Amino acid sequence: MRKGDYLGNFDLMLLLALLRLGEDAYGVTIARELEEQTGREVVVASVYATLERLQERGLVTSSLSDPTPERGGRAKRYFRITGAGIREVRDARRSLMNLWKGLPELKGEKA
Amino acid sequence: MTSKQPPRIATWMLEHFGSGPNNDAVLGDLAEQYRQKDSAMWYWRQAMKAIPVSLFKEIRGHKRIAASALLTGWGMWIVYVTWIFPLLTPFFFGGNFGVAIEPRAPIGTAWSVLWAPVLVQAGLARPFSFVFGVALPLIVWTMCGWLVARFHRNQQTAVVLLFAGSVLLMDLLLFGPFILTVKPAVAYLFVGPLAAHVAASILGILLGGGLLRHHSRTVSN
Repeated sequence: MRKGDYLGNFDLMLLLALLRLGEDAYGVTIARELEEQTGREVVVASVYATLERLQERGLVTSSLSDPTPERGGRAKRYFRITGAGIREVRDARRSLMNLWKGLPELKGEKA
Repeated sequence: MTSKQPPRIATWMLEHFGSGPNNDAVLGDLAEQYRQKDSAMWYWRQAMKAIPVSLFKEIRGHKRIAASALLTGWGMWIVYVTWIFPLLTPFFFGGNFGVAIEPRAPIGTAWSVLWAPVLVQAGLARPFSFVFGVALPLIVWTMCGWLVARFHRNQQTAVVLLFAGSVLLMDLLLFGPFILTVKPAVAYLFVGPLAAHVAASILGILLGGGLLRHHSRTVSN
């Protein structure tokens, strides 16, 4: 496998957020979704930097909306996961589930 | 719905120093979220993190362009201090004075190359000439920044910031050994002129690189 083929933790979280948000996935909603699910503050610029990289790998696509006044006259960039992105998520889930199986208990929880 | 505007200085900084194709979208997202969160601290934190995040993303994605930009900017400055600078010194000091390039003393050479307009005056025990030590270098650094921006337009913000950062880093790295080498009382005499020279270099690069100009809002797909 070539370097860069594995999805990183943040890559995977972003792809899952795109799947959850469907057509309404842009910077604000993606950051909010990640903050709600992880409980951590998300740097919006990091979301874009990672999505740009995933776009270069063909895992997501993006399009611009019309500018709106509440955004200071700036457009939203909407992101969507591609078929290749969905396959990557499936592969990552399979790999993680295989690795997870058979683990000893973690801090009193079932692995 | 509130009409509260996000902090102006943070917005200005992100507008001018944020790089990459999504900078406008980031600014829009921050403006939208600011109306809900109403926290200037949060906005500042996001804006100040967005600048290095977008810069590193651009540099990592365009390593050759970044290297070419550094070579262009530094090359222009080295041409100035090695060729043009000795031609100018007679007008100010009545004689030709060049930079001291000594391969066996790389730190001394670096001092000379980077700070020649300040060190030559001190070496000649002349009162500090603002025109020679600050105004002329400001013009030259502006040209360096302009060349960097002109030849790397697609990554203009990132490469200009990278070049300015490299100059500032060199200044900071060289200042420590300089203080340790010369006596503190002598070093004290250099601090003001050197600080003015460093400020002129960074200002010149940002000006020439077009990062301080008013930005018209552009939306690209």
